Formats: sequence, structure tokens, C-alpha cells
Amino acid sequence: MSTDLLNTLVTSAIWRAEQLAEHGIDSASLAWAEVSALEEELAKALPASQPEGRIARRGAVRAALKAGDFARAQALAERYLAEKDATRTLRASLRQLLEEDARTLADRFRHAAKAVDDVRGLARWLQEGGAFGLAA
Amino acid sequence: MEIDLADLRQMHPRLPEDLALVMISRAALSLQRNSHTSPVNVRLDVDRAVTAGKLAWPGSDPSFLDQHDSKRLTEDGAEAVALAHGHLAHGWRIVRRMQQGESADWLLDRSSDGVRQLIALEVSGVASGSITSRLNKKLKQVLESEDVDQQWAGIVGFEEPVAALRSSEVTKP
Repeated sequence: MSTDLLNTLVTSAIWRAEQLAEHGIDSASLAWAEVSALEEELAKALPASQPEGRIARRGAVRAALKAGDFARAQALAERYLAEKDATRTLRASLRQLLEEDARTLADRFRHAAKAVDDVRGLARWLQEGGAFGLAA
Repeated sequence: MEIDLADLRQMHPRLPEDLALVMISRAALSLQRNSHTSPVNVRLDVDRAVTAGKLAWPGSDPSFLDQHDSKRLTEDGAEAVALAHGHLAHGWRIVRRMQQGESADWLLDRSSDGVRQLIALEVSGVASGSITSRLNKKLKQVLESEDVDQQWAGIVGFEEPVAALRSSEVTKP
């Protein structure tokens, strides 16, 4: 798929997700998941050495967080942080996105704040291991 | 300068057609609910260079006004005008929409002497009253955008039609 087509698709997807989110429609999280998937495709097509590649990488992580899928956001961030051509500012931005999301969640659920990291770690472990991990 | 919103899609080939139609329709309704008819005189401001221009649009049926959220009517309408203004003033073309958090609504590009430049554009609309404070606020916001060569704010006022484009005056190498 060409980057032009991906850019057109991500434009439509972001626009739709924004409109749903503004009205508090539940399916906004599904729309953000679609945005994240399209940003990920753009990130595959554009290296982190290019400005648009960096925008797509931040976009993939940011949209995964908006979709409420922290495990995916963290997995994407780790993949992009490991890239050789990732700039220092991109790395800082990706870490900041995850940290800000963790802070927002901790503020929202003050009584569970200390457990946020543990719960996320567990969720990630379960996602990576799947049903077999759970059985083990 | 004459801005015809009917040409928005030709100016920005990467703008999805359905999105362009909604944006143009919302611009039309924002202008029409302020009792303007196409074409209307518009004050055009590009980095404080002010000129008089004309703004035209395909008419939109006001009986469909209830289908649109009032805030989106102003914001999306402003985007149609600002994107057309930016194309005619600077040759900008849409690359893609940006997510909230990137400090800009649109990533645009232009080629000058064979060199491609990326532009971050933050747009806002003002249904009634002055655009000055909104312009300053949005300019401050777009200064935060990363990985672009130029940062611009575009504000459109619908009461007394005005379209302003202001750069951060920071051009990164």
C-alpha cells in the first residue's frame, strides 16, 4: 500500500475517532485502535530517520493509548525505542507518552495508583503468553 | 486573492473526498448563519500582510444545520477556509491529519527549489468576535509541534469574514 493511500486513510480515521470521542461515543476506542493500526503501517513504510516516520511512530503509540490498549502501546514503544535510527527526541517523546498515560491513570484511580505498574505488567504478561502462558 | 471552496479537493488531492465535502458544507453553513452569501468580501492576513479578497462556496441547505455539532461547524468550516487559503498563499498541500497531542491539526508540504518542506498547521474557527486572542493561543500551541520545518496557525472568523495565517517565525534547519 502506498504512503499516499495510508496518509489518506489515517486522515479519515483520525477525523472519525475525534468526532466519536468528542461526543463520548463508546466505539471511539475502536476508532482509535484503527488509527493505531494505520499509523503502525505508516511507521513500517517510513523509517524513523524521516520526520513523517517519527510522527507515525508517536501516532501509533498515542492512538493505542487512546484506545485503552496499554499493552499494545508499550509493545510498539519498545519496538520503536530499539530501532537504530530512532532519534533522541523520538525516544524521549515515546517514553513521555507512556509516562503521561500512567500518571493520568494513577490520578484517576488514586487508591489503586501504586498497583498500576503491577497490573500493567500482569496484563502484558498475559497478552504475550496468551492462553498457554495462563495455563503454565 | 479569490478563494473558492469548491476547489478544495483540487488544491489538496490527499484530502479524502467525504471529509472535504463535510468541511466545505460546514464552512458554508458557518458563513450562511452569519447572513453571508457567496461570494463574500474577506480580509486575508498572511503574517500581518493584509489584503482584501473574495471567498466563494457552494451553497448548503440550512435545513440540515441540526445534523452538525455547533463546535464542529465552526472548527471544520475554519479548516476548509484555512487549508484553501494556505494553498493559494503558499502552495501548501495536505500530507495527513495529525492527532491531538502533535500540537497541530495538519501536516502539509510544499516544494521550493526542489526542496520539500513540512509544515505544521494548527487551525481554529471563531464564530463571532475578534480572532486576535485565538491566533496568539494557537500560535503558542503549534510552537510545540516536532519534526516540521515550519509552524503556522490559521484562524478563520465567520462574523466579519477573515482568514489569518501566522507563522511562528521559527524555521528549523
